[in-house]
Amino acid sequence: MKDGASANGSGAAALGDLKVVEISCLDTMPCFAGAMAAKTFADMGAEVIKVEPPRGGAPERHHGPFKAGLPDPETGGLHLYLNTNKMGVTLNLESEKAHAILFRILESADVMFNPNPPTINERLGIGWRAMVERFPRLVVVSLTSFGADSKYRDVRGGDLIATQMSGVGYETPINQVTDLENEPPLKPAGRQADYLTGFTAAAGAMCAIYHRKRTGKGQHVDSSLWLSMISMIRPSMGVFTHDTTTAPYGVRIRTRAKLGVQWVYPCADGWVSFSPITDRFWQGTKVVMGNPEWAESEMFESLVARATNYDAIEAGLIDWLSSQKREEVFQKAQAEHVPCFPVYSPREVAENPQYKARDFFVSHEHPAAREVRMPGAPCMFSATPWRLRSPAPMLGQHNSEILSRRLGMSDETLEQLAAEGTI
Amino acid sequence: MGSLPFEGIRIADFGWIFAIPHATSWLGSLGADVIRVESTTSPDLVRFLSGTDGMVGINRSGMYNSINSCKRSITLNLSHARGREIALKLVSISDIATENFTVGNMAKFGLGYEDLCKVKPDLIMLSGTPLGQTGPYAKTVGFGPTTQAFAGMCHLTGYPGGFPCGIGGTWPDFAVGVTMVFFILAALHHRDLTGEGQYLDLSMAETVTSMLPEGMMDYFLNWSDPGPIGNREESMAPHGVFPVKGDDQWIALAVTSDAEFESLCEALGIAGMARDPRFSRLASRLHNVDALEAEIAARTRGFERGELVQKLRERGIAAGPVYSPPDVMQDEVFQNSGMLVELEHGESGKRIVPGIPVGFSAMKPEYHGAPTIGQHTEEVLSEVLGYHPAQIEEFRLAGAIL
Repeated sequence: MKDGASANGSGAAALGDLKVVEISCLDTMPCFAGAMAAKTFADMGAEVIKVEPPRGGAPERHHGPFKAGLPDPETGGLHLYLNTNKMGVTLNLESEKAHAILFRILESADVMFNPNPPTINERLGIGWRAMVERFPRLVVVSLTSFGADSKYRDVRGGDLIATQMSGVGYETPINQVTDLENEPPLKPAGRQADYLTGFTAAAGAMCAIYHRKRTGKGQHVDSSLWLSMISMIRPSMGVFTHDTTTAPYGVRIRTRAKLGVQWVYPCADGWVSFSPITDRFWQGTKVVMGNPEWAESEMFESLVARATNYDAIEAGLIDWLSSQKREEVFQKAQAEHVPCFPVYSPREVAENPQYKARDFFVSHEHPAAREVRMPGAPCMFSATPWRLRSPAPMLGQHNSEILSRRLGMSDETLEQLAAEGTI
Repeated sequence: MGSLPFEGIRIADFGWIFAIPHATSWLGSLGADVIRVESTTSPDLVRFLSGTDGMVGINRSGMYNSINSCKRSITLNLSHARGREIALKLVSISDIATENFTVGNMAKFGLGYEDLCKVKPDLIMLSGTPLGQTGPYAKTVGFGPTTQAFAGMCHLTGYPGGFPCGIGGTWPDFAVGVTMVFFILAALHHRDLTGEGQYLDLSMAETVTSMLPEGMMDYFLNWSDPGPIGNREESMAPHGVFPVKGDDQWIALAVTSDAEFESLCEALGIAGMARDPRFSRLASRLHNVDALEAEIAARTRGFERGELVQKLRERGIAAGPVYSPPDVMQDEVFQNSGMLVELEHGESGKRIVPGIPVGFSAMKPEYHGAPTIGQHTEEVLSEVLGYHPAQIEEFRLAGAIL
């Protein structure tokens, strides 16, 4: 399918006609949502100009992982990953001259991603209302902790706070808590609130682009870490409003009512995820376990019965898994069409034959970091394939290309702007 | 406010469970005509994962209702020749088709991408599967939460040095659903410009791994595996969850500077701690993070959650209550965020359900309640597909409509 379809496709970039400006996060609380949102556009072929502060650049340059743990703003893993396919210019947005330049760049832009809190934006004169008024065709995307107009708009947030205020942190680790005191609510690995909000903002931006196709008008898209994360507990919300009496979500401890659709368990040589919930999965699970007598109980006859008696299923499953090898369980369960996967480390992911067969990880040359390998297409497009066209920019790498070639500024002006710290 | 952006766009939605329903509901709220193809003989299992007022039933699932707003539901037997024919007719007048069956199932029904392209050459089709359409493990089955184990997520999530963890919110289903909205719209945009449709092969595992740069890049740069780090952060300390008064009550806080740490200590009534050489500077706090967290936890325990959150926020410290899902629903700011809407449902009546998490200044999503199963079969077959009532009756008798 992949090869056949791409052979017929144009090979063009899906968003090749769109121009995006990404304002770097200038807050002391780092936020990588804007970088991720702009990356999704850049990786789909949009032209992305990332505006970084001349001193130090964007915050992802200062967050690891770094090679051998040595901080370097050009070669950090987050920067290399989050800024692929972008152009970089430096502008000190505290200066009026820099503003004038930013506004000239924005004149031809379709989308602006801004991950800064409202107070910073208003102080800099780049609040969403001012932007929408000045650039009527521009899609102005805010990526804040709580929402640009929320009553919490000035509350400091960030990835951890948004995650823990969303219900996702409270539910993590799911179905594994045995010691309430010493196992507090937990955030998922990495900065999921930031990255999820990046995708949420990107989706919102495309909706606004569609609105513009119909009306010719841009608008403000208000995305936030908090609501993006709350959206992840969407089904739980329905449980409450439909069935407050039996809602199982209020308690973290493992003995609560369970839905049996997920969760990870230890086996003899590692961990696996395992889900025996549907009729078909449960029949398969019984076969994989060698049809033990306990599993034939009427307690497990229907989906509803299994959900109700999940503790008993789980006890039997854990007991059986304790003697099983991870890869064998995976193979055996999948042969019976039961959802089960090994818990893999980054190394096991990177070297996995499935990812390899799909060329998921990509390598490219970066002027400072040399050969860099990283995750590639989060979705395979047959006609407009995801492509790594250029590595993350060096700080200010595209200043002259944008400012002189595109905006027609002279070399002397550029030198002067650099000397006074504007660029 | 003007018209909605996706009016006139139709989605033939063969998806089920969580990720695709989330994506298509989003597009439906902005005007797309989402027609969910369901089956009464193998219905979406989410229809049975929760109920209404203590009773479970095919049309009573609060879960289903909360993620399937803004759609119509028709029931077809895709294994039946006429059922397939109706599905093809629907696709022929749709812009987008979505599905998340096990690899090969759509083709088995004669509804694979090639089949659908014959009736709709510029179709955009998205298939979402655990590990993608190709590769040695393409045929695996799994939900998002089981699949994320394969993607590195569970290994990296956990308490420092602890066991691998599953993530709440049935992660990553809804996160993947959001990415689907973006990918579908990118493909639609390309079609608008060029007339070219395409096939989108989404592997949930790959999407998850693409959102794990911290762990993956550490491996690629250093061949190292730091394992789980709990609620911590490499550039902030404290950065974590601490107990407050009450049973299983917590607050989250993150300190971005030494000055903020001083304010935190003052707020907690341990001002002297800010001068303790073990904690006064970020580097030392990171070095002594276990002791740091223990000292802070010993203090936070004495406060009410709301009181401490307010105290810290007044000082400009990033802090918030750790909310259980019921707590989230009770937060007034959330209640007034515009994300919750009251919708009418055929069997559950008026209920509050969540809409999309994004606000727009120039358009307003229009929501309508989730469908009961097959609620729109007649309507869609006659009004959209142009079948006569007698034909529809015939389909029903033949078992093509279930």
